[in-house]
Parts: sequence; C-alpha cells; structure tokens
Amino acid sequence: MMPDLQQVGQAQTQQWAPEVSAPVVLLENVSKTYGKIHALSEITLALSGGVTGILGMNGAGKSTLFNLLMGKLKPSSGSIKLFGTDPWKNPAPYARIGFVPEHEKMHDWMTAHGFVSLFARLNGLTREEAKVEAERVLEFVGLTDVAHKQIGRYSKGMRQRVKIAHALVNDPELIVLDEPLQGCDPLARTTIMNVIRELGKMGRTVLVSSHILHEIERITEQIVILHNGRLLALGNLHAIREKMDNIPHTISIGCENPKKLAKDIINNDAVFGISFPSGDNLQIQTHNLNEVHKELPSLIVDNNHKVSSIDNPDDDLGSILAYLTGGLG
Amino acid sequence: MMVPPKKDNVFRALDRKLGAVAEFTMRQYRTKLSTWVVLGVGFIAIAIVVLFYVDSMQQEIEAIDNDGDSADWDGDGYPTGQERIYGTDPDNPNSHPGTFTPPIAPDPPEKWINEDDFDWDLSATGDTTTGYDDDGDCRLADTTQSQKDRNRNNIYCDIALDYSEIRGEWAEPRSDGFVDEDPDEEKYGKEAIHRAFLLAIGKMGFVFLLGIFLPLFLATGLIREEMENSTMHFMLAKPIARRDIFLGRIVGYLGVVWPYIIAMGIIVGLISGFAGPGDGLFRFSDLGMWMAIIFATMLATLVYGMLFCALGTLWKRGIVLALPFAAWELGMAILSFNAPSASILRFSVIGWSLNIIDAASLIIWPNLELFINMGLWGGGYSSNYWGSELAGADALSAFASNTGLGISPVATIVVSTIVLLFQALVLWIVGSAVFKGKEIE
Amino acid sequence: MNEGEPITPPQIPQSQPIPQPIVTTPQQPIPNVTQPIQSVEPATTPMATAETPVTGQTRMEAAWGSSEGDEDYTEMASVGHSGSGEIFQQNYEPWRGELNPRWMRNWAILRHHVLGIVKKGHRPWGVPTKIFLVLVFFASLSDAGLTLLASLIGESEFHSMWGVNRDNLYGHVLGFFPRNVMYYPIVAALLVGGVISEDRNHGTSALYFSRPINRFDYVGMKYASVAIIQAVIIIFTLFLYYLTEIMAFGRGWAWIIDTFPLFLGALVGGVLLIITYTSIGLALSSVSKGKFFPGIGLLAIILGTKTLAIIVKNLFDREILYLLSPYDCLAHVGQALVKTQPTYDQYSWTWSLASLIVMNAISLYVLSSRVSSMEVTRE
Repeated sequence: MMPDLQQVGQAQTQQWAPEVSAPVVLLENVSKTYGKIHALSEITLALSGGVTGILGMNGAGKSTLFNLLMGKLKPSSGSIKLFGTDPWKNPAPYARIGFVPEHEKMHDWMTAHGFVSLFARLNGLTREEAKVEAERVLEFVGLTDVAHKQIGRYSKGMRQRVKIAHALVNDPELIVLDEPLQGCDPLARTTIMNVIRELGKMGRTVLVSSHILHEIERITEQIVILHNGRLLALGNLHAIREKMDNIPHTISIGCENPKKLAKDIINNDAVFGISFPSGDNLQIQTHNLNEVHKELPSLIVDNNHKVSSIDNPDDDLGSILAYLTGGLG
Repeated sequence: MMVPPKKDNVFRALDRKLGAVAEFTMRQYRTKLSTWVVLGVGFIAIAIVVLFYVDSMQQEIEAIDNDGDSADWDGDGYPTGQERIYGTDPDNPNSHPGTFTPPIAPDPPEKWINEDDFDWDLSATGDTTTGYDDDGDCRLADTTQSQKDRNRNNIYCDIALDYSEIRGEWAEPRSDGFVDEDPDEEKYGKEAIHRAFLLAIGKMGFVFLLGIFLPLFLATGLIREEMENSTMHFMLAKPIARRDIFLGRIVGYLGVVWPYIIAMGIIVGLISGFAGPGDGLFRFSDLGMWMAIIFATMLATLVYGMLFCALGTLWKRGIVLALPFAAWELGMAILSFNAPSASILRFSVIGWSLNIIDAASLIIWPNLELFINMGLWGGGYSSNYWGSELAGADALSAFASNTGLGISPVATIVVSTIVLLFQALVLWIVGSAVFKGKEIE
Repeated sequence: MNEGEPITPPQIPQSQPIPQPIVTTPQQPIPNVTQPIQSVEPATTPMATAETPVTGQTRMEAAWGSSEGDEDYTEMASVGHSGSGEIFQQNYEPWRGELNPRWMRNWAILRHHVLGIVKKGHRPWGVPTKIFLVLVFFASLSDAGLTLLASLIGESEFHSMWGVNRDNLYGHVLGFFPRNVMYYPIVAALLVGGVISEDRNHGTSALYFSRPINRFDYVGMKYASVAIIQAVIIIFTLFLYYLTEIMAFGRGWAWIIDTFPLFLGALVGGVLLIITYTSIGLALSSVSKGKFFPGIGLLAIILGTKTLAIIVKNLFDREILYLLSPYDCLAHVGQALVKTQPTYDQYSWTWSLASLIVMNAISLYVLSSRVSSMEVTRE
C-alpha cells in the first residue's frame, strides 16, 4: 500500500553515522523545572526502533519531553542524548530526526509541496533534490494530488499529513510526533495511523504522543506512560497489564444464554464476580486472566454454549492508566 | 562521538540552508498585507516631498533688483545702471546716453536686474580673494577709493574670503562696494534648493524615515512572530543552526528592503535629475550623491534590521526597547544637523549613516559651505548681513552639515561604513546568541 | 453465590444536577429512558469495596478528564453496558440573578485595564511597559522638580527658565523635544500596541463578547483606560507642576487668577493630544493582528508626518504639510489656546483644529466599523 520509502535526494550532510552502540533516544535522570513546578522529574529512558507511544494526560510532560528532545528546552538536570549527541544548542542530530509539532499553525500561504521542499532544503538538500524529495514524501502520506494547493485550504487531517511529510524528508531514523491525531476525523486518523505503523515496520524509531488511549493502542503495543512529569510505566501494553494481576480484569462474553454460562463459570476459583449487562452478554470479573482464558474454551465446548465473542474490555490503556494513576491522583 | 557533517563547500552549504530560509522569508513578506502597506506608505511619503520639489523647480524664483539700478528714476527711458556706466546723471532727465553721438539705445530694465552675478571661485581654500564686478559699477571712475576697497585688502573690487582654521569654517565674506551685488536669484536658488532637497530627502527621507521605519515594521517580528505563531518549531527541528536561521531571516528581509530602497533611490534620482537645474538634460553630477544615499540607507536598514530583530528575539515585548530607540535616533538625527561633531552621535546608528551622505556631499560639491555662505551673503546689499540671503540658502544651510569626524570625506565614508558593518556584526552575534540560548515552547 | 444474583459493580458517583447559569430557554427534562439493568443492592465483594469503580471507562474519565469525544463507538459500547447506565434528569433553569447595571460592567473593564499598571491580577501590561511609564512619569515631572529647585536656591533667572509661565505650560504638554519625541508618542504607542489586537489574537475578545457587554462599551472602556493612563502622565504631571509653583513660591490668588487660563489652555491641549493619539492608535490596533504593528504605526504616523512636514517647510517654505501631522496640528491649536508665539504662520489655527477633528473622525470611524464587524473568533 505504501510506496517505498527509498531515499532519492541524499544530502551530503547526511553522510555521518550515529554512534553505533548508542540508543536512538537516551535520557538519563532528566528533569525540567519551571520555578517550583516540575514538568519532568528524573526521567531515565532509552529507546531504539519501533513505534513507542508516549501517553499521559495534558500536562503530564509529553510536550516538555519532546521539546527537550528537540533542543528547544534545556534540561534542568540530567542528560539527553540523541544518537549519542546532546541536542541543546546543537542541531546536528536533527539531520536524522523528523519532528511533527502539535501546534496547528502552519504557513498557510505555502503549498504543501513548497512547504515540504523548504524544509527539505533546510535539511541540506539543494533546490532540485528538495523538489524530488518533497514529491516522494508527499506521495508517502498520500497527498500527491493536492500537493500544489495552499495549505490554508487543507482540512485538519491533510494538514497533519503535511506536517508528517515535512518530518519525513531525508528519511529520518527517529520520528517524533506530538499529538499527530489531534482533531482529525476517523478517516484521517486511519490514514495517519497507517503511516505511523508503516514507519514502524520500516524499522524507524517512532515516538507518538497522545492522551487518547485507543489511538495509541491501535498503533503500538510499546508504551511509555508519563504522569505529573514522572515515568509511570514502560514496556509492552499487555505485559504491563499482566503485571497488575491483583487488580480485577473483566472478560466480556457474548452468548445466547449468559445465565447458564455464568452458572458453569462461577465454579472457577479465579472468578469472583459476574454480571449481565444485557440479555445476550455476560461479564466475568477475575484476578487471574490467564487462568480464566485457559479454562474458558473447554468450558464452552464441554457445555455446548453458543458464544459469539470474548473481549477484555478493560485490557486497554484507559484502564491501565486509570489503575496506575489512581494512587497518584 | 558523532562526527560533524562534512560540508561540501561554504557557498553550496549556504545555498542549501541559508538560501532556503532567506527565500522563504521573502516569499512570506510577499504574502503579508502589512508589507505592502508599509512599502506603499513609504513610497507615498517620499513621493509627497518629491512632488513639492518638482513643483518648486517649476516655479520661477522672483528676480530681485538688489541695487535698484534697473529703475529709471529720472524718466528718460534709461535704467540707472546704464546711465552710470555711460557717466550720465541718473537723476537728470536731460542727461542720458541718448544724447550721445551716435545715440545709444536704452537697455530694457530687465538687463539691469541680476546683472552682477556671483563670480566666486568655489574651489577656494584658505583666505582668498574672489569675485568680479560684471556690471562695472565698482570700477567706475566716480566710485570712491574707500568704496572700491571696502574690505581693505588692497585689492579693488573683490570679495575677501577668510577661512578660520580654528573654527574650521568660512567667516562672513567681506566685499568691496558694488561687487556681485545683484546676483541671479533664480540660478542660485534653484541650485541651492536642489542640493538641499537631495540632502533632506537623503538624510531625513531615506536614512531616517525609510531607514528606521522599514526595519521597525518588517524586522521586529522576523523571529518573534514565528515564535509566537509556533511556526518556528518546524524550522528548529531541522539540522540548521539558529545563528543561520537568524541570518537567513535577515538576508530575506534585506532581499525585500534593499531592492525597494534601490528602486526608490533610482526613481527619485531620475526625477530630480531631470527636474533639477542645470545646462544638460540630466544632472549626471548628482549620481554620486544618489549612490551615497542608497548606500547609507542600505547600511542603516541592515544595522536597524539586526537590532530590531534581536530585540524582538530577546523579549516578547522587544518593541518596548525598539520604539524609544527609534525616537532616540530621531533626536540624534536632529542633533547631527546642528552639532555634527557631538560625541554622543558616535553612539547612534543614524549619526554614522548620515556621515556617509554628508561626506559624499562634500566630495561631489566641494566647498558646499562656501556655496551656502555665498547665498547667505546674497550680494550683501542689505545693511543686515543675514537679511540679504537668497532663496534656498537657508534650506541648504539647514540640511547640510560637516561630517563631524574631522577627517577627509573619503576617509569618513570608509570609517562610517566599517563602523556600521561592525555594529551589524555585533548585533548579529548578540542576536543569534540570544536566539540560541532561548528556550522555545 | 446463586444464579440470578448478579454482582453489580458499585455505582458510578452520581453528579447532582446543578442549575445552569444563563439559559434563556429552559430545556425539557430528559425522561429516564434507561433504568439500571439490575437494580439489586450491590453485593459486597472484596475487590469492589477496595476499589470503587471497576469499569475502565469511568476510571479513565475520573483520572483523565473527559475524552476527546470522538473515540470509536464500539469501544465505548464495550464499557458502557457494564452494569448500570443511567441518564440523570437535568433541570435547566434560567439564571434568576440580577444583572448589574451597565456602568458597573463597564467599570469592571476599565478597572481591569487601568489597575493592570499597578496591580497583579489585572490586565498584564508587561514589565518593560510599566517601567517605561514610570520613567516617563518622572521625566515629565522634571519641570516641577526644577521649579522646586529654583525656589530652594532662590535664583530668579533659574526660575524664569523653569517656573510656570506661558511657554513652559505649553512646553510641558506640547514641547517637541524631548516630550513629543521621546515621551508621549511612545507612551501612546506602547499602550495601544496590543489593546485590541492582542484580544483578537488571543481570542479574549470572544470572552468579552460572550458576556452581556455591548461592543461599543468594550471599545469605549478600552479607549478610556488607555486615555486615563496617558492622562496620569501628561495632565496629572501638568497639575503637579502648577501646584509646585503655587506651593514653592507661595503664589496668591491674584497670580492664580492670572495664570489659570493658561493652565486651562495647556490642559485642554493635553486632552486633545491624548484623544488624538488614542484615537489613531486604537484605530491601528483594531485593523491589525500583529503585536508590533499598531505601536510602530502610531509612532510612524506621528514622527513620520512631522519629519515630512519639516523637510517641506525647510526646503520649500510651505507649511501646508503640517496639516497632515497630528503633532503639529496639536501644537498649533495649543499655541492658540495658551497664546504663545505661533510657529506656524501660513494659515490660521482653525485649520489645524479642523484637521485634528478630521483625523479623529476618520480614526474613530475606522475603530467603530472594525469593532462592530469584528469576528469573535481567534484569528
């Protein structure tokens, strides 16, 4: 579906290699304070490869983290390394980085092609190389048809895609997207998510921030959760969920006769609660998801239940965040 | 550790990044209404003064008969001047050159207005004698010895010019009686007004008005507005040093302002060249002045652009510093007319820019000061020295001034240019250092 | 545990219906469409008591605030049926309070702007602006200070130079250098700079217009607040100057009666100056979006027209261009008011007054038409 992200116009300034052993993003004890307000405190993080979702509510420090990564802010303490280089007052690492800011304002008077090729030139391409490069990335985000229209006439989703396109010039290794899905309609969302997933598959390191949980879930399983400037969780979404096994899980089963199924399933020790949200649905509450899942298939088959669906409705980021932050308020 | 990117060569690198920023800035200006309003208003302001100038060049300056010898007091049809040359009695109607054999026809009275024009050697240096009695009334036999050498320099019928080394200026001219006493007002006035116009429009119109307000309007927001609109984030996420962004924005700003100034200079220069006084169709001799005006304005816009852009970067409300500075510069401009050597002018930008124009005026019109003195003296016919000044002399003396550095004009231009470029360099370094250390949300 | 005795998760914390502030049309109460599916008392289970809400969605709402509102419906549904769904009856009532009179609302706007100079919590004017205002305030008092000094050292020549007289009263308000180059135009420029354009830029005008405030009240109070701050700097210092002379030299009634018309003339000149600068400045502020444009524009108009007029006057001995210069019109009218030696002699001062009226009329027209057609969106 996606065109090949093959480098066409390779700039000279690109011809340097990052420190091989260094992770793409490395934060060590990074704090950022504004007076008494701690926007970020003691963040230690190393990321390389794949799509990582940065989750946190408004004010959790996502944007501060990105601004630190992009050298717009100076860390109050700790060190930040991108490809092994400190980005503050040093734009060199940005040759390998694409950044999609969250701000909506753009140069509305420019065409998408003009906009992208401008930033391609800032990446060190010459005018002609930049043109070719702009066409390539605009095709990648699916804007070739409208590339020569003014950005001011674009819809929000198209604008977001232009921003992503501008970040993709020169084939960056690290792509940082700050709230890329904000304010987009479902169609634009899907397109952008596909683009991000595609980038992940290509082996790029992608950081996506969001406070909308379902979005990230649809893009990636690797997450970083920030709350009040602190690192709350890090790793695979499901793994994190599994670790919290003292917290009840809910399994939702759609079936013809929920009451009968409930009768059979209540005997399992792991199940401690059952409810019937509707006539053809059953919810099981358990401490041990694995055990229930292990037993459930045999139970269904043995008792000849007609089951239409089995879901874990709160095995999503929302419940994880809620549980994790519940104590912190 | 990371190896810094290897540059192919300086110019190519500049074209890639700096060129892109500059081109972007110019295109951005083009889309803004305010740019066109500002440039348009600047054009109108200059055009108004030019209209007044063209109008005044079309008007005749009234010819005044300073010595009154065009009048025919005795009613015999011969103007007094003619009668005196021929030795007849101007007050006796029966005594006139018509009684001569063969009779001499009476001159039209106009011939005896403006009949004794200036014959000054304007290349004079130091104490000197100059002037020639065109109408011969000083050299007449009946003119007394004391009238013939009123300035007591033992030379009859001349004008003594005294140069005061200490004050560095020409003293009041001392003339013998009836020498250059009835100059051509039209000829002097047109030339003086033309020169005054060039100096006024160059110093106040171009260097002050365009030189300060174009940067104020166009450069103050170069970085700041991008930061406020958060469009700066796009640029900062690219591998380009902030110093280069700053410079690129300034270059883009100059790419708009400099062509505008050059075009304005050429337009006004052409108009004044054709409309101005002179024997030929076009005053080629002013070209140097226009080059100096354009050059000085370009330098002023460069320095002010750097300054205001840096102030805008430094502070969200950089305008609070920029506006008083602009007013300060106006004060310095006014001061430079009256006291060009005041040392406080060294701390302004406009003082140095105006120096360039003043120095050029001294190169192109050597002894401009003597020319002004000549007009202020105006024939010296009035009992009050300053009362007999010619049209335009006042204006020219108001707008012309010495360079104030006390060195030769060429050296002044060189020194002023170096100082202005140095100011621009310092401001660039300071501005980009401020920008570089700026945390941007 | 028996069949049919379902375990319901604990209730979602209920929100009490709160009366809405201003709703003109009371909405129909929404009937209870859904009852909780099982309205059985919640059985006490170990977990449910320990952690109150079990559903992810509610926890998320509680922890994260409401979501964007455009999540997939299917996912919403999976948590929506977790036991108890209820739509609470909402009672909308019109706001029954009494609206304060118009002047009180206007006073609030005025206060917000003027007090911003001295207090926190009001309109933030920016520290540099405040510093500049304070500096100009004391600089404007220089003549009062020198008068005081003259009374202390008792030198009459010094006093005749700085004390209250016709020329000094005129000069306090309308003197060109430094007052009308360095002080007053810049004060006006800094004040008008963002007074309307920043509201438009930040979207605060929408906050104003969503309240029972008429647009002309809004702009009128902006005008008044800018004018009042200038009046403190120009007219209050004039008053102090006059007062210093009376106090320091023990002037009696005879002197006061003699000089009061002059003082009044200078005062009227000052008021005209404030009105003119404010009108032009606010007109510029209303047409522009930028932060810098109105201030620079006002300064460019005042100093630019003055410079052009000086050029033309000195070169061609024509004063007509002074009619375009706000400062010169003010100075000419001021000279007529205080009856000092006029410096403009090619036309009568009534022309200058007429020109001032035209300038103000144009500015106010621009201002009012811009404000009445202003779109209350964030631009």
